[in-house]
Amino acid sequence: MSDLKISGLHKHYGSFHAVKGIDLEVPSGEFTVLVGPSGCGKSTLLRTIAGLEEASAGRVEIGGKDVTWARPRDRDIAMVFQNYALYPYLSVYENIAFGLRARKVAAGAIDKRVKRAADMLGIAPLLQRLPRELSGGQRQRVAIGRAIVRDALLFLFDEPLSNLDAQLRDDMRVEIKRLHQELGRTMIYVTHDQIEAMTLADRIVLLRDGQVEQLGAPLDLFERPATRFVAGFLGSPKMNFLAATVTEGAVVLSDGTRLPLPPGRKVREGQAVILGIRPQHIAMAGAGALPGHVRVAVVIELVQPTGSRVHVNMPLGGTSIIAEFAAHDVTAPGERTTIDIDMNRAILIDPQSETVI
Amino acid sequence: MTATAHPDRNFKYWLVSPAIFLLLLIGLFPLAFSLVVSFMRITMLETDTSFAGLVNFTQLFKDSRLWGSLFHTALIIAIALPVELVLGLAMAYLFLDKMPGRQLFVSLLVLPTIISPIVAGATWRLLFDNRYGPINQILGWFAGHPVPALWTVNPNLVYPAIVFCEIWQWTPFMFLILLAALSNVDRSLTEAAEIDGARFWRSFRFIVLPAIWPVMAIAILIRGLDLFRIFDIIWALTEGGPGTMTETISIYTFVQGFRQFETSYTAAIAFLVIVLLTVIVTWAIRRMGLAK
Amino acid sequence: MSGLPFHRRHDVRLALRYVVAVALVLVFVFPIYWLFTMSFKTPDEIFAFPPVWYPRAIQFNNYRVLFKDGDAATVGNSLILATVSTFFAMIFGTVAAYSLARFKTGGENLAVWIISQRMMPPVAIVFPVFLFYVWLGWVDTYVGLIILYTAFSLPYVIWMMRGYIEDIPLELEESALVDGCTRWAVLWKVVLPMARSGLFATAVFTFVFAWNDFLFALVLTRTEVTTYTVQVTHYFGGQSNFWAKIAAMSVLGTIPVFVAVATMQRYLVRGISMGAVKG
Repeated sequence: MSDLKISGLHKHYGSFHAVKGIDLEVPSGEFTVLVGPSGCGKSTLLRTIAGLEEASAGRVEIGGKDVTWARPRDRDIAMVFQNYALYPYLSVYENIAFGLRARKVAAGAIDKRVKRAADMLGIAPLLQRLPRELSGGQRQRVAIGRAIVRDALLFLFDEPLSNLDAQLRDDMRVEIKRLHQELGRTMIYVTHDQIEAMTLADRIVLLRDGQVEQLGAPLDLFERPATRFVAGFLGSPKMNFLAATVTEGAVVLSDGTRLPLPPGRKVREGQAVILGIRPQHIAMAGAGALPGHVRVAVVIELVQPTGSRVHVNMPLGGTSIIAEFAAHDVTAPGERTTIDIDMNRAILIDPQSETVI
Repeated sequence: MTATAHPDRNFKYWLVSPAIFLLLLIGLFPLAFSLVVSFMRITMLETDTSFAGLVNFTQLFKDSRLWGSLFHTALIIAIALPVELVLGLAMAYLFLDKMPGRQLFVSLLVLPTIISPIVAGATWRLLFDNRYGPINQILGWFAGHPVPALWTVNPNLVYPAIVFCEIWQWTPFMFLILLAALSNVDRSLTEAAEIDGARFWRSFRFIVLPAIWPVMAIAILIRGLDLFRIFDIIWALTEGGPGTMTETISIYTFVQGFRQFETSYTAAIAFLVIVLLTVIVTWAIRRMGLAK
Repeated sequence: MSGLPFHRRHDVRLALRYVVAVALVLVFVFPIYWLFTMSFKTPDEIFAFPPVWYPRAIQFNNYRVLFKDGDAATVGNSLILATVSTFFAMIFGTVAAYSLARFKTGGENLAVWIISQRMMPPVAIVFPVFLFYVWLGWVDTYVGLIILYTAFSLPYVIWMMRGYIEDIPLELEESALVDGCTRWAVLWKVVLPMARSGLFATAVFTFVFAWNDFLFALVLTRTEVTTYTVQVTHYFGGQSNFWAKIAAMSVLGTIPVFVAVATMQRYLVRGISMGAVKG
């Protein structure tokens, strides 16, 4: 049983083609994150699901019902907006109760549900205040409260955390994840932040230029990206991309460095490839080389400590690559050292099609 | 197959339709009606609907009273508008900085703008009375002898009387708008100019004026339009007299239509006024850089 | 002390500003003072030479006459006409403004056409409207004037309200739509409360316009719905002006506007400046 089914969806704004034929099915109870760079069509897609934008072509089904031409109010959805969308002239209580009143829910039931939602979000003491008397994080909680009180089939989130500062964003992320576990409802969440996508999602839909680039569980996308775009978009720091040529069973970088060919890849002799290595798959050389790892001598260029980990830049293959080491491995710039690269988890990309081989 | 059109598609047209209907009824209809009637020979006493060609329009060019009334209108605009603007601006500067009781001063100064123009005219008619009015009395104190000026009759004094009343009533309007505009000018800009040693005039010309111009231009446009159709104050003070000396275009149109009952000819005048105003306003909007 | 001259200059400046401010208030308020006090004067005081600057005693005889003769009913007519036409102009104007602001109905062309209607000189409109009303039998009726005032105020209301509505975050409306509101409910429960101060300011100006009108009422009324502005001019006479009646009637007609403006004051200044800025 799927709560949302989209087929062949297109959206045009004048001559601009924002959504180019998307098919998507979201199973019941799943947390799906639509992620991609700005302008990829993720917000448009969400707004079309909500009925705030009219589909130019295609079909949207919610709960097995065709709602392509239905009003937003007839779609059994609740939505949390980027700028909270709280009514400044209504108290927190009335803001949360707004949707229930609009749907003529009995007064007693409204009170019970508003209080339950407020308890869940820890905003019960704020119910009589006006939105302008709240902090950013509190406003966001109210906005979420207004959605969950509705008990809708589908919950939509449009970049709800992008206006919060970093600390609050982390807290609210945990909160949203907890809510999903408690409520067990189908949620669709739009963000441009890949960390939010990785941490929250049961399934990520990565969009690019109005099309689905890749779709799957976060770890699937992280470990088995289908394209260079996906590989580069997910993960922090970004994956290193090195131009290389396949020669005699090895990958040869532009500076002549020879690395062993990762196993099981269909490449021909002399083929130009792009080698992708995640910063996490590079380590300081340990006591003995692990199987599938290759040892390379490098010169440290730049060191950026992040506290628990440290990001280190070093020249390799005619470019500067970045590696993530444990903090106690700290090395000073200019120092010569050796690193181990895990070639088993490296990827090869066809430079023409930009797809992973 | 379910519906293939958005259920709220016509909502926006429902919203505008009553307003548009009313505007067509009262706005566009009279324009078309004037145009049709202006080609006939109708007067209130005679309903001759035969086609008169351009008779009424050629008549317009020979009508010295019409051109006189246009000249009177232009004269009043040319004097009153700049005075209101400069005086309003000076007053706005006077109250720009905070001072105790400012709100009270502003509230009192705005009073003349709120009262009906016809009442403003009536009030000044009382003030200007040659014998029992206070103005001649006050002038007498300064002159040292009784001043029996006939403000609403004496050809030399009727225009000053009208313009005084007009300025009294509408300078506060300019003042209020310009005060709001000046308050919105970023203080750090003028202060920076002051530190750089710029004189008041320079900082006004190059910093303040560009900042308040959009608002000022609209205020000028609104007042200019109102002055073009000035009617009430003159009706109360002089009724266009003595003779036709203070007859403005609005007064003249009214007299032709409702005193002389020249229906078709009045329609031609009304049409001329609309065309004239459209041309002037379009020009003014372009000239003042208000077009989007 | 180096700070002293600056302070002294500052004080002198402030004192000068007060002197000028008081002088301005005297000049601008004196005519209103004269009008109000005259309405309380006896005929002897009104026609005294040299003029009497204030009434010896407050007496309401001038007003009593207006009420006894029924002339004061014209203020009631003005009140009915201005209130009802403001009500309709606000309703039709606000929903039209919402359509223009949110859905760009008719594009910029419709918006410009609507504002150009505001520029029509009343005298050019009133003449054909008069002929039209004679045909409809609407001369000297409430309906006729209410429709005319409503239509004449519409461009102003639409223009002002469009500006206010454009400032309302779209998300608030979308959120309400998702939460279960119809389009009409969104207008009623979100847009109107959000545009509250704009609604008040616009309504006051619309009311004042209709209240102050003279020309339309002069042409389109006879005896039944005479407004107070027309009534005031009935007291003008060649030699013998009914001064006391002019003054008392003017005061009666001025008080409602003063009250409306005073109670709505906090919305008005913002209304004027915002409206002007947005054009």
